[in-house]
Amino acid sequence: MSRPLSLAARLTLFFGIAAAVVFPVFGWVIIESMENHFEEGDTDELKIIADAVEGALSAIGSSAELALIEPRFDDILVGHHSASLLISDTNGNTLYASSRTPDLTGAIRGMSMETTRESVGRWSDSHHSYQVLLRRLPSKLANELGASTIAVAVPIDHHMQFIASFRRTLWLMTATSIAVMSLMGWIAVRQGHAPLRDIVARMRRISANEMSSGVAPDSVPRELSDLALSFNDMLQRVEEAFQRLSHFNADIAHELRTPVTNLMTQTQVALSRARTIDEYREVLYSNMEEYERMAKMVGDMLFLAQADSGTCIADVGPVDLTKEMRTLCDYYEGWADERGVALDVHGDAAIEVEGDRLMLQRALGNVLANAIRHTPAGGSVRIVLTAHNGEVSVNVENTGEPIPPEHLPKLFDRFYRADPSRQRRGEGAGLGLAIAKSIIDAHGGTIAVTSNEARTAFEIVLPKTATTAPSMEDEPARATSTRQSITGE
Amino acid sequence: MAPPLPPMKILIVEDEAKTREYLRQGLAEAGFIVDLAGRGLDGHHLAMTETYDLIILDVMLPDIDGWRILKALREAGNKVPVLFLTARDTVNDRVKGLELGADDYLVKPFAFAELLARVRSLLRRGASTGIETTLTVADLELDLMRRRVTRAGRRIQLTAKEFALLELLIRHRDEVLPRSMIASQVWDMNFDSDTNVIDVAIRRLRAKIDDAFDRKLIQTVRGMGYMLDATGEG
Repeated sequence: MSRPLSLAARLTLFFGIAAAVVFPVFGWVIIESMENHFEEGDTDELKIIADAVEGALSAIGSSAELALIEPRFDDILVGHHSASLLISDTNGNTLYASSRTPDLTGAIRGMSMETTRESVGRWSDSHHSYQVLLRRLPSKLANELGASTIAVAVPIDHHMQFIASFRRTLWLMTATSIAVMSLMGWIAVRQGHAPLRDIVARMRRISANEMSSGVAPDSVPRELSDLALSFNDMLQRVEEAFQRLSHFNADIAHELRTPVTNLMTQTQVALSRARTIDEYREVLYSNMEEYERMAKMVGDMLFLAQADSGTCIADVGPVDLTKEMRTLCDYYEGWADERGVALDVHGDAAIEVEGDRLMLQRALGNVLANAIRHTPAGGSVRIVLTAHNGEVSVNVENTGEPIPPEHLPKLFDRFYRADPSRQRRGEGAGLGLAIAKSIIDAHGGTIAVTSNEARTAFEIVLPKTATTAPSMEDEPARATSTRQSITGE
Repeated sequence: MAPPLPPMKILIVEDEAKTREYLRQGLAEAGFIVDLAGRGLDGHHLAMTETYDLIILDVMLPDIDGWRILKALREAGNKVPVLFLTARDTVNDRVKGLELGADDYLVKPFAFAELLARVRSLLRRGASTGIETTLTVADLELDLMRRRVTRAGRRIQLTAKEFALLELLIRHRDEVLPRSMIASQVWDMNFDSDTNVIDVAIRRLRAKIDDAFDRKLIQTVRGMGYMLDATGEG
């Protein structure tokens, strides 16, 4: 698909087209009315002359007297600049023609007078243009004088020239107007877009270190404040992701540094002098424990990377969550029992969702293990499964100390531990809940946590169907909704 | 079960020299005859000309990748069990390998004990499929039909999972079983849970079958897993 025309070009074009339509119509109307005005004026003049000539003719009785009144014709014509008069008989012969009269016989022949007594028209000889009035004389006069037609003409060259020059000016003005309007349009667009360019410049200045600055919505025109708000929202999400990522990197380095330091120190100490076989074996065993820790961490991080790209769901099929939960409780039972924690599953007969069984098992297992681990001896973990409106909810709640509210939103962050001292007690690297969240996200579900004096509860909500891997577009929306459900309670 | 006679032959196709060498050493010490190939074409040639009981195939090889070797073998009608090793724990790898006819897979990094356990169970597959009704180790006896356990003639009460755990240990006697494998085989749990669930389960099983006796059958192999010691030498 080709790129749409730029806004400036678009508006310039529209302005130009509007000017090109409006101005010529305007000019045409002016010229038309001017021409009409001139024509009416000339016609009136011609009629006055014709009336006067007709009056003079009716005062005489015969054609012989015609020569006597010729001076009167001159008088009549005086004051009507360059008007000419021609009187012809029924055969078309000229009875009288005023001096400097153009050859109006052509005009008489050219203009049809079959039905009307009088007609007005325009006629040109080789040099000039005339407005011509022909009038058939009443039959009484025609019989007495033998004169049948009078023709009166005034030259209209100066009108024509005026109109022609006016038309030229008008076209020039129209063309100029179109150009000026287009230019104005372009300038208006440029000026109108100045706030946009300003925003762009401000956006460009935002670097990774000062993302929170954003664009203040009240510093831009009203039409753009939505844009500024959306941009700030997006920026905030990006910043959070960025922060999380950079913390994640720092955490990885930190988590790896501890086992690597242990390995190096132990090995160096072991090698610093000769030791018995058993002592070497002891070092190797100890090393192996560190290696295992690292291997597990690497494996978990790889898994998270896949989950982030939505490729962790391979094998989609119906999964009975109640059954999975009971199996998990069966698995953890001995461990929970040793810690003095009772497990209790409440669920409808079979609660099925579409999903990857192994992945869901892992997610539920991590949440359950986390709950058991944080329950003091004598406490209990209660699991309630319910299905409603195409959604399945798994509630895992345990008794024990409440989690301070400031920790709640971060519980699902990678390597996050509410209790920093827990780090090296061999209870994993703090990725369990992050993995659970990734899997549930990939299934289009949500996980949220609430905590009060009585209990801490994790609630997982999964859609019964629609377990396609998330597309990138849904990701922020879901992340937001998860966050809100955490902080909202 | 001691490594069967005649010794099984295993081909390892792996380009990483260090990995190749420790796999060879570990498997040779476990009683297998091991051939090595560092390149895909060499591996393919050996697999087509020699007879092996198992091939351990790395997916990422410099010349031709493991998939093509596997495909060529299967197309040539060679049904030798193949266990593939992949560094990329992507689901696609897993699915692709199994679709092409691989029998099992392991994701690097893996524990050697895990590899050994997988190798043994692949080799055992298709071997003795006779239906056993009782399993016996030293003075311990499992009646698989009646789900009954006796040691030195004394009846021992086990839960269903404890019975399954003991059965797994006996079927793999003298082999080290990694915790992940125990979780997977007994509880169908296929993830690492950051907990010591398996240790607790073993401890409880020991309390029932070992604590009252001088000879301890269940041995902890540090850093690797658990083993049922049938020879009494551990």
